[in-house]
Amino acid sequence: MVTAEVDLKEMDKIIKDVKAKILRLVEISKGMQCVDRNCDRILASLKMLELNISDVVEFLD
Amino acid sequence: MQVKGIDRYWNPVLETLPREKLQALQFKKFKRVVEWGYQNSKLYRRLYDEAGFHPQDLKTFKDISKVPTLQKEDYRLAQAKEPYPYGDSLCVPLQRVTEYHQTSGTTGQPVYQPDTWQDWEWWSECWSYILWAQGFRNTDRVFIPFGYNVFVAYWAGHYACEKVGCEVVPGGILNTEERVLKMKELRATALMATPTYVLSMAETCRNKLKLDPGKDLNIQRILCAGEPGASVPATKKRMEEAWNAKVFDHVGATEIGGWSFECSAQKGLHANEAFFLVELVDIDTGEPIEEPGKIGKIVITAFDREAQPCIRFDSKDVSMWGEPCECGRTFRLLSGGIHGRVDHITKVKGVLFSPVAVEEVVRSMPQLGDEYELIVSKKGDTDSLTLKVELSPDNRDTQENVLQELSRQLRLKTNLAYNIEFHPFGSLPRYEIKAKRFKDLRQGH
Repeated sequence: MVTAEVDLKEMDKIIKDVKAKILRLVEISKGMQCVDRNCDRILASLKMLELNISDVVEFLD
Repeated sequence: MQVKGIDRYWNPVLETLPREKLQALQFKKFKRVVEWGYQNSKLYRRLYDEAGFHPQDLKTFKDISKVPTLQKEDYRLAQAKEPYPYGDSLCVPLQRVTEYHQTSGTTGQPVYQPDTWQDWEWWSECWSYILWAQGFRNTDRVFIPFGYNVFVAYWAGHYACEKVGCEVVPGGILNTEERVLKMKELRATALMATPTYVLSMAETCRNKLKLDPGKDLNIQRILCAGEPGASVPATKKRMEEAWNAKVFDHVGATEIGGWSFECSAQKGLHANEAFFLVELVDIDTGEPIEEPGKIGKIVITAFDREAQPCIRFDSKDVSMWGEPCECGRTFRLLSGGIHGRVDHITKVKGVLFSPVAVEEVVRSMPQLGDEYELIVSKKGDTDSLTLKVELSPDNRDTQENVLQELSRQLRLKTNLAYNIEFHPFGSLPRYEIKAKRFKDLRQGH
């Protein structure tokens, strides 16, 4: 069984940073579908990272 | 922090989270979805307002039991309104819905299930927990022997396989023989199917193609869904022996999601408690059941669905908590998987009766084939149970001996007597997806 030192707070920070970047991309696309629809997919995947990592960070030591 | 089992678990943090922290996470997520449902769905707002409940009433974990439960009929009534076809149950603008699925409609009008792309990612995420726990890896070639159609299960399995990194072969359109030959040709390593179809494919292999599925094919693991068979020890044993493969159970539902899975320890079904709140309640009183070994009904909340949330949904599935699993997960185990449905557990001749008990008996007798049919009817004022079975082609015992042994086992396991009918092998109905082996013909059932 593999054990490793994992920095979940840093992961959470990166997830937030990436989300902010993608939202900014949508903001400046002015409705370009090729940007908005792909960003929508990225945001859905980011949500899964939030569910897996960000949601639990506050409960960890 | 030190994280153990990075290779063993899909999410080693959530799956091994100490119980008190898991409960704190659950409460945070529960409050979030209740607020979401109340603010965005007329269905939940009406349900809660009529019950005098408000999301702000949720102060502690114990307050969860104050939240009204949702019945399938509530979805149906809400969906009769605009916007078509989801009506008052929809929580997002219709334009955000990208996926349509529906329930099978076995208990009435199907429930329509809208999902956004985020919901769809969530479906495959939940299924990834299942697949990883059962050993599916990027070295697997997974064969799915169904046309997926409007039903969600194998779509979700397919997308989750992709997420986990498996190669997926969609085996719709083909007939059973063609599917078996395709699996053989491609050297598929894994398979997803209902227990009924897993056994039926093995029968086709042996009797029509003259192949031994355990030797001539390369299937190493089978994920079952749709029926409780993979948690019925005798049925699981039949499938594992026929295919020379590990067989794993999983339970999910269109309205809920893929909420539970058997891990490689095969000791029961883990509830995915990071994504779902799984409550076991007394069938009659609705009181929570926390202790292992006591039968109850499952009420479920999916924490993270946005288009059509599922909050304290009365699944009508019956199970019981088990002891902690040796796999290291802190997600609780449901012992023996799903034991049946509230609407199938019925009184026959005054005795509480579950059809799953009959499956266990029939499948534990090697003299019998895989198929059977069970009918409850009324003769005058008396309930009557008829069990139709087939003798296996390999059986060398006399029918009279098999009859005596079967009657004895049934009496022992269910406390009931049966009219047992032997039918020629291959004459009882065969099913591809969910079997309908239990029929209650009494009025009002």
